[in-house]
Amino acid sequence: MAVDNTPSDGALLSAPSDTQHETLNRSPSQYNPLNTFDLPKGEHRLYQQQYADMYFARLAALKPAVEQVAADAWVDYEIAGETPRQVDRVLDVRQGDLCWVVGTCYMEMPLKPNVLDDIGKEHWIAAPPPRVKYVEDEGKEQMMLEDESGRLRLTGGVLGQVLLVTGAIIAVVGTENKDGDFEVIDVRVPDLPRQPQRWERDDGDAALNPKAPTPTRPQGGKVAIVSGLSISGDAGDTLTLDLLMEYLLGESTGPEDQASTAQISHLIIAGNSLSNASPIPSRSALLAASAKNRGHAKKYGYDSSAYNAAPTDRLDTFLANLLPSIPITLLPGEHDPTSTSLPQPPIHAAMFPHSRAYMPPPNQPPTPTNTWFSPTTNPSTFDLCGYRFLGTSGQPLDDIYRYVHGENRLEMMEAMLRWRLVAPTAPDTLWCYPFQDGDAFVMKECPHVFFVGNQPKFETGVVEGPRGEQVRMVAVPGFRETGEVVVVDLESLEVEVVKVEIFEGG
Amino acid sequence: MAQDYTEYLAINVLNEQQIVSYRLLSRALKVHVNFAKQMLYEFHRKQNAKKPGSVHATYLLTGTRRPTPSQVNGSHSQEDCEDTVMQSSPMLPSRSFPQPDNETAEEEAPLIRSIMLVKQEHLDQAKATFETISSIHIYSLEANGLSDVQVLTECNRKVAADYASEDQLEAWKQYGTIQNPNVKRRKRGTAPPPPPAPIAKTADVKVKPAPPTAKPEQKVDSKPSSAKPTPEPEQTKKSAAKPAPAKRQNSDIFKSFAKSKTKPKGESQSSAEASPAPAEPEDQPMGGFSEDEADDNALMEAEKASDAPAGKSKKDRAAELEAMMDQEDEEMEDAATPVAEPEEPENAIDKVSPPKEEEPKETVKVENGRRRGRRRVMKKVTAKDEEGYLVTKEEAAWESFSEDEPPPKKARLPSAQTSSKPAAKKGGKTQGGNIMSFFGKK
Repeated sequence: MAVDNTPSDGALLSAPSDTQHETLNRSPSQYNPLNTFDLPKGEHRLYQQQYADMYFARLAALKPAVEQVAADAWVDYEIAGETPRQVDRVLDVRQGDLCWVVGTCYMEMPLKPNVLDDIGKEHWIAAPPPRVKYVEDEGKEQMMLEDESGRLRLTGGVLGQVLLVTGAIIAVVGTENKDGDFEVIDVRVPDLPRQPQRWERDDGDAALNPKAPTPTRPQGGKVAIVSGLSISGDAGDTLTLDLLMEYLLGESTGPEDQASTAQISHLIIAGNSLSNASPIPSRSALLAASAKNRGHAKKYGYDSSAYNAAPTDRLDTFLANLLPSIPITLLPGEHDPTSTSLPQPPIHAAMFPHSRAYMPPPNQPPTPTNTWFSPTTNPSTFDLCGYRFLGTSGQPLDDIYRYVHGENRLEMMEAMLRWRLVAPTAPDTLWCYPFQDGDAFVMKECPHVFFVGNQPKFETGVVEGPRGEQVRMVAVPGFRETGEVVVVDLESLEVEVVKVEIFEGG
Repeated sequence: MAQDYTEYLAINVLNEQQIVSYRLLSRALKVHVNFAKQMLYEFHRKQNAKKPGSVHATYLLTGTRRPTPSQVNGSHSQEDCEDTVMQSSPMLPSRSFPQPDNETAEEEAPLIRSIMLVKQEHLDQAKATFETISSIHIYSLEANGLSDVQVLTECNRKVAADYASEDQLEAWKQYGTIQNPNVKRRKRGTAPPPPPAPIAKTADVKVKPAPPTAKPEQKVDSKPSSAKPTPEPEQTKKSAAKPAPAKRQNSDIFKSFAKSKTKPKGESQSSAEASPAPAEPEDQPMGGFSEDEADDNALMEAEKASDAPAGKSKKDRAAELEAMMDQEDEEMEDAATPVAEPEEPENAIDKVSPPKEEEPKETVKVENGRRRGRRRVMKKVTAKDEEGYLVTKEEAAWESFSEDEPPPKKARLPSAQTSSKPAAKKGGKTQGGNIMSFFGKK
């Protein structure tokens, strides 16, 4: 088999020589976790609260920002000699008055899941499959604006032009018509929050602790983001995973590529590391199981005959192989073995008998100095080399996708940023924890990098804010389907894609 | 060195028909991966010069290429035909300023970096799809072509299993893995094995009648071999102690057999190794009391003191044997895979003894609000069988558990305790006790 050697690749296609192969060192990374999405621990985590509190908290948090934007925009807005005046509550809108009001958007859609349907489902023989989209033809959905006082139905052609979902806080200007509907002329959203300077938080910490030596600010290197590893128990299709591991370890490929791999200073795994680790039995299955077990002692813990530990074992091995060389942040995803409601708590350390050694000691909060392997919440936010990262494993975006016409996911990501909401549709159609004081999904600070995992394809873009904020958005495709890893440069925030694939002839 | 790798590859690739990847080779010979890649190339070249087609290779190409049309990035494709695309998503409200629609795609058409594994027969085709190739090297060698590339995962599984004992932070330097000077790893102090005494007590108190003597067991295991005289405890001890070294050692023995051209025998033995306890299944529907359970079970315990002397003599022997061998053989990659324990073939009694060990029972103990104990679970084990197929089967294994006591659900489990299960499993490689402790007691 003759292989023609080009100069660049000849090195590895030649007889072993005495040349010393060097061992590379990886670029350092500065990881500083934030606990924005941590849930209360133990018995303080309660589920009795009403979700309504979340909406109140959200409105309270975002109303000032929207009012500011709206007031600026509509201060010299004039229609037929009338300038709109602000109305505090939606119920105070008077028919015929030109006014503007702030509230929470609510979409009523025939196809949207409804809790009453859930109850009805138990009486069906087979439940219908989950919807791809909640929207159907134009016009069927109703849009409403609500606040603590009441609801106002919105109409108007402008609503067809804007992207809105349940939960977004908006300001609308217009008048109430004779049907009692509010004719919307224009809409405003909160827009991007303040964006911290790079290194701001680390500098702040340093300022609080003057004795600490000024940290060296290394060259950023790169961060690799991968999602949807979908490790299953079957061993038959994990070759790309092996290739990915070898690439990240710098073992495969040639010296040049190994040198560029050494620049990757951090790995983010954005959800769905396991393909189907926590199937939730339906209520009927549970009933059937309990009926079968009647008479027996109730069984606690997992059913050892049905449980397959292979996926978690493989994930642990995968991580343990990478960890000696590269620090990892692991977000749980829809299929991962943790709570399904947002924010998902980190995958428990018990799942990682091998990788656990790289985690912070138990019962100690993660700090920049003790964290190497960091299973985090989903969504998650942290500082990497001074840049603020915000990411989810995809559920919020997938849910927004169901609300709107169209496929442009980047636009939806941009909308999330401009709404200042990480998960706008929670708690309406996205399961989430009933936050009592303050909605954790409200973005208080604007990230520099906003990534969303488990998307159908790779996409990237930059959003600019009113005060010059720039946010790099990255939609990360599932690795199992595409073999793609996204690599973000931590200096320029440029994005590149590395694709691991197997040539199947053809 | 040069001879080393030729010999290693000749044995593993040509004789044993194994797949050898650069990674496996670098681990086996303790050389830099790039060096190993060159060795594979040289061996491939020489062998095929001698006898064309005798060795098949897979290559790993790295470079940049344009994505094929089907994978074209969606946002860009939309931009390309902006006018025809349906006005999909409505505009966003209140953009601070009108932004060009292609703001999302200021980068030029994407060149993706691709890492592609390709069989040698497709090499030229694959190369043609690249714009630039930055490196190319042999990924693996195998004697016959690959029907399914996925079997290459076997190599990494082997690496993971055979070299698990290496400290990655230290050993991986020599392989050329990218090192990270900042790595933070905790000392593994947080996984306390269950104290031996309470366990023994548990066994006494809770265990269903599990008599330590051989008689009832013989009733239990209806294996023909059970007719043999009960081995004295000393021997049982010996065979059960230190399961992991024994395993490695016995694979070394295979190797020596293979070398001294009793190869069929070696193969049959290894196939016996692959398919565990072929004699048992029919009469023991519970999954057989093959000694892997005993092993696994034994692992849980920390009763080292009693078996230390026995283990030592064994170790000595192992060391001697190992000294005779100059190479690692492959072994079954999964620690849980039962091994027929064919070491010391001259000592027939030892071979028999494992099944004799009394069947461990599921034990449960309740202690300040938590239930602890051991139970048998079915684990999925994937292994490659003698024909090179990946086979997943369920096997019984033991694991310790600790869970909330049902009625008073109060205690939040400290993570140290949660950790006891996997830690115990891992620790298992080196220790073996529980059965011994049992015998020691009586």
